[in-house]
Amino acid sequence: MGNLKRKIFLQLALIILAFIIGILIAPLVRETAYQIKSWVGKEKFQAPVEKVVILYFSTPEGEELIPVKRKIWMEKESSINNEIKKVIEELIKGPESDSSIPTVPPETKVKAIYTRGDTIYVDFSSSLVEKHPGGTSGELVTVYSIVNTLLENFPRYSKVQLLIEGSSHHTLAGHIDIRNPLSRNEGLIKSLER
Amino acid sequence: MKRYLFWIIALVLLFPFSCNAYQDYQIGEVKVNSGPDLTTVIIPVKKGTGYVVRELTEPPRIVINLYPANLDPPYREIRVSDQFVQKIRLSRDSKNVVKVVIDLNTPDYSFDISLQRESPAVVAEIKSAHEDAIFQLLKQEKNSPFRSETREDKKGIYCIVIDPGHGGKDPGAIGPSGLKEKDITLQIAKKLKSLLEKNLPVKVILTREGDKYVALDERTEIANMVGGDLFISIHTNAAWDRRVQGVETFYNSQYVYGEGAEEVASRENTVFASETLPSKIKNIIWDLIQNQYRSESKALSRVVQQSLTETCGMVSRGVKSAQFYVLRGIAMPAILVEVGFISNPWEERKLKDPEFQKLVALGLYRGLRNYIDSFNRKVSQ
Repeated sequence: MGNLKRKIFLQLALIILAFIIGILIAPLVRETAYQIKSWVGKEKFQAPVEKVVILYFSTPEGEELIPVKRKIWMEKESSINNEIKKVIEELIKGPESDSSIPTVPPETKVKAIYTRGDTIYVDFSSSLVEKHPGGTSGELVTVYSIVNTLLENFPRYSKVQLLIEGSSHHTLAGHIDIRNPLSRNEGLIKSLER
Repeated sequence: MKRYLFWIIALVLLFPFSCNAYQDYQIGEVKVNSGPDLTTVIIPVKKGTGYVVRELTEPPRIVINLYPANLDPPYREIRVSDQFVQKIRLSRDSKNVVKVVIDLNTPDYSFDISLQRESPAVVAEIKSAHEDAIFQLLKQEKNSPFRSETREDKKGIYCIVIDPGHGGKDPGAIGPSGLKEKDITLQIAKKLKSLLEKNLPVKVILTREGDKYVALDERTEIANMVGGDLFISIHTNAAWDRRVQGVETFYNSQYVYGEGAEEVASRENTVFASETLPSKIKNIIWDLIQNQYRSESKALSRVVQQSLTETCGMVSRGVKSAQFYVLRGIAMPAILVEVGFISNPWEERKLKDPEFQKLVALGLYRGLRNYIDSFNRKVSQ
């Protein structure tokens, strides 16, 4: 009997010890642990689905935005934030034809997306500012190609807040006020009747 | 031996769980320094955490959303009860978002929020609104919310503020041969200043005299402090395609409610705090002031765009409106002129030429003169 009690005690002590050692060592091996987690997650692979999205690129004159349809592959049951990220990354790749021109520096990375209420927050890497050509015209098409593209493909949101390296900036290149969430800009979209 | 193997496996499996206990981006202990005329709130964060600020009224409070950030335990409250701050509430809002609410004791405040890079922290400074230059100007308007009356009393346009775009550490757009926007805008601004002072009875103020970095809100403050009657910001444009060329003149578009309206509304709220006007009427008064400037700015844009393209013989891309940081909050008609594309090799070469710069200054001068003439005629009638 005493032997069994001792066994249970030993096992309990081992569990507690495992926890303590785990907690102590965890910060050192956190990266590896996350990798293991993502490997485990990968096994639940599902075939991606094709989706048509609308991307706003600039006219060659840099005055207006043109909607361009593109088919992209999206993970089945991917979260809304992942879908938003995918669409922005597609916008960063730039247009496939010569009738429109890119609006975002190709080096730009999307660091994070988060959504809250009716607003989408997009956190970009500093390349969006550092590699930007500048100028009011250049800045206008950059800001509103992002805003219009997102609000077009995700109509349940009505505003987009641009963030750079985690914080809100006054402007991208010294002109357009981007401190607050921005609404869709219809005035910049090229009207098809013309 | 087999049993030990089992425990080793158990230990390995526990790692990810312990990791969750060690969530990144924890918020540190909030520090509050209460000074005689300044309260500083320091929120230690982890590197990479960013923030978004909102100002709310009734009761007055500042809301800071931190992202990515975590809080453990998920709710904290700090009583301050000093001159400005009543208490600070921290709560875990959603995954990786921490909401910090600074409840204020008075609607009579101004604030400044910044991210401290070394030993990362979000620092909020709350001080009396009277130290804010823009607030002072708005307060003056309290007695005459329709500023056109004030200006008509003065009978005419006497002070012009010229803002040479960019400067110092901010070169602005850079041309294909390396020409910097900040140098061209200053050279044109100086030429325009001397033309105006030589030919018209006006005082001209430059927001920067040399190659100096001046923040955008400082430029706004300078213009408002000197009591300018017109504001013209000079820039050179840039586009994604190097073939793009021409001249554009901008004025500020209306701020729609929801886009920074909180800020406008709270300032408005502060200005009229002592009055017992219903909020609806307060908003209408505010809109009337804004509308007044917008239509004048639009008229000024048209005149300047026309005379500039005619004088320089450049392609006109027209008059446009956008939400400019530098034009926002300026208490006078204000425009931003993009005098050509520095990103276009041909226009870059022209902008570099001092003779062409003189022509640009002349075009701008003629536009301003025409506007001032017609304004003065209207006033003297």
